[in-house]
Amino acid sequence: MTLNIIVVTDQRDGTLKGASRESLSEARRVVARAGGGDVVACLVGHNLGKAAEEARHSGASRVLVVDDEKLKAFSAAGYAHAVGLVAAKVPAPHVFLAPDTTMGRELLPRLGARIGGSVATAVTSIAPEADGSLTVQRKVFGGRATETLRLRGTPVITLRPNAFGIDASPASDPPVENVPLGDLPAVAQGVQVTNFTSTRGDTPDLTEAQIVVSGGRGMKTAENFVLVENLAKTLGAAVGASRAVVDAGWRPASFQVGQTGKTVQPQLYLAFGISGAIQHLVGITNSRCIVAVNKDPAAPIFKVADYGVVGDAMTVLPLLTKALTKQ
Amino acid sequence: MDVIVCVKQIPDPETKLRVAASGKSYDPDGVKFTIVNTYDEATVEEALRMKEEFGFGAVRTVTVGPARSEEALRHTLAMGADEAVLVETPPNAVLDPLLVARILSAVIKDMPHDLVMVGKHAQDDEAGQVGSALGEYLGLPSYAFVTGLTPDSGAHVLKMARYVEGGEEAFGGPFPAVVSLLKGVKDPRTPTLPNILKARKKPLKKIPLPEALAKVGALPGAGNPTSETLAFTLPPPRAGAKMIEGQTPEEQVEKLLKSLKEEAKVL
Ligand SMILES: Cc1cc2nc3c(=O)[nH]c(=O)nc-3n(C[C@H](O)[C@H](O)[C@H](O)COP(=O)(O)OP(=O)(O)OC[C@H]3O[C@@H](n4cnc5c(N)ncnc54)[C@H](O)[C@@H]3O)c2cc1C
Ligand SMILES: Nc1ncnc2c1ncn2[C@@H]1O[C@H](COP(=O)(O)O)[C@@H](O)[C@H]1O
Repeated sequence: MTLNIIVVTDQRDGTLKGASRESLSEARRVVARAGGGDVVACLVGHNLGKAAEEARHSGASRVLVVDDEKLKAFSAAGYAHAVGLVAAKVPAPHVFLAPDTTMGRELLPRLGARIGGSVATAVTSIAPEADGSLTVQRKVFGGRATETLRLRGTPVITLRPNAFGIDASPASDPPVENVPLGDLPAVAQGVQVTNFTSTRGDTPDLTEAQIVVSGGRGMKTAENFVLVENLAKTLGAAVGASRAVVDAGWRPASFQVGQTGKTVQPQLYLAFGISGAIQHLVGITNSRCIVAVNKDPAAPIFKVADYGVVGDAMTVLPLLTKALTKQ
Repeated sequence: MDVIVCVKQIPDPETKLRVAASGKSYDPDGVKFTIVNTYDEATVEEALRMKEEFGFGAVRTVTVGPARSEEALRHTLAMGADEAVLVETPPNAVLDPLLVARILSAVIKDMPHDLVMVGKHAQDDEAGQVGSALGEYLGLPSYAFVTGLTPDSGAHVLKMARYVEGGEEAFGGPFPAVVSLLKGVKDPRTPTLPNILKARKKPLKKIPLPEALAKVGALPGAGNPTSETLAFTLPPPRAGAKMIEGQTPEEQVEKLLKSLKEEAKVL
């Protein structure tokens, strides 16, 4: 059964995010397993030239672009409308995929509701069935259980970043097909971004990073937190923090990992002086490998960590940084 | 300005989960339920804060859930909500988030709503679907990952902040709208005893599920709107961390790096 997979890419800052390329890669794999079909990169926004060029070399067999000034500010209603215009250019049956970024998570359920699709968010595996439906898996209850779902009709899926991997893309470079937007529906008008405060600096974004180094109250002072940052720099990692650190004012809220902060999904999560409260753990259980350094052997974080070191973070951090710098 | 906050009662995040006999959900027997989904508690707080600061009309809370969910609604009334609506489902029904959104939209259409608020996600299904879907079904704009909002009633816009990858955006958009909240400006208040007692007498309307479903119009598109759960599984219990021992911190660090490179292969 052939499937045409429409991958709604995320390029909020003008370039195709790694998570978008990962979605394109997975779309190729699903199409191959299902027995053929197109992988359509669907780009919606404004000033998409660079991202569209990247999409051409990221495994898509078609690249459809809705590029319009009126789409400068993201709105779920406006973007869902634009994706609908792209879908009208692609023969059915459709599957919609997007990375589970803030944009993907906000947009795809709206699209699913609009088209009467069958929606699953943050899935970790996709298996095509003979009848054209898809079986997907996703984590629920803060990573404490797994749900297996069958999606019939038109599946609409967001993919958990870093759960699938990016393949080297084949040498196909389809032309960019422009799809005119026309008027934005009334419900999508009037959204305006007035300010953007970047928290990126020279480190990767927390939610996209392959390695995250986090510190907790056990770091004792704002000054000591530099030790966490030094290790992160050495590893090319993102810096995270527990809420205790944010509440103490050592680092801004954008660093916070957990229930009311960010959910991370790196290959490696290193936690220094973090006790492992449930509200912190729900943000890190998608990590492939968790390392905890804590001076208390009974700290709850050791129950979920893969490797534990009982010790003083202020000693272990510089040693790790030194050992890794030497290499 | 009338606000509706959608809330869900969920199993306490620390309660022990067991798989139900069907193999398709958790077994609710013996499960401790939270008063209300943490994100929804934050959302109720944000609605009440705005009501107090900006002199809104009523704050009404709505849930789709079994009879026990009345407890969650009473909690929101004790926090300060004015009225509540319970769409009562059979005890162990597991509803697809899009269906929940459709039911909510059908009920909300009959209530005054300048603003509809939901949490970022329910901590059980972690779907994060209901807010955006509600926006679509109600024909309203929807805004997600919001971390605080201020209404500007004159200009008829909401001023909001939201998380996006790499930073925080300040943005504005028209209302009526549906807002999914990541966190509010203030921590949720704890109801006082007098307010808990008062909440018992506040209006709480019950709508049986079939009556709510009858209000749900024809589904858009030809597709099957719901997903079907095939299995609900628990991972094998975590063994706990492999503890890296050593005479000195230097030795521990050396061993740790070796494990991360050769065993876990993450460096
Ligand atoms: C509604 C709600 C939402 C929340 N959301 C979040 C969230 O998003 N993210 C979050 O992180 N928390 C959140 N929390 C807070 C959470 O419950 C914990 O309070 C918080 O995670 C604790 O942070 P911590 O581990 O840094 O501090 P603590 O719990 O104080 O732990 C400090 C740890 O450091 C260790 N330590 C001390 N000195 C050293 C040393 N020299 N070397 C090594 N280890 C040392 C101690 O043994 C201890 O284990 C939330 C709470 C609530 C109620
Ligand atoms: N059964 C329900 N009744 C009322 N509101 C709900 C229900 N399920 C979800 N919601 C709302 O929608 C938000 C997102 O839920 P979900 O999409 O299921 O992750 C929750 O935080 C609630 O505000």
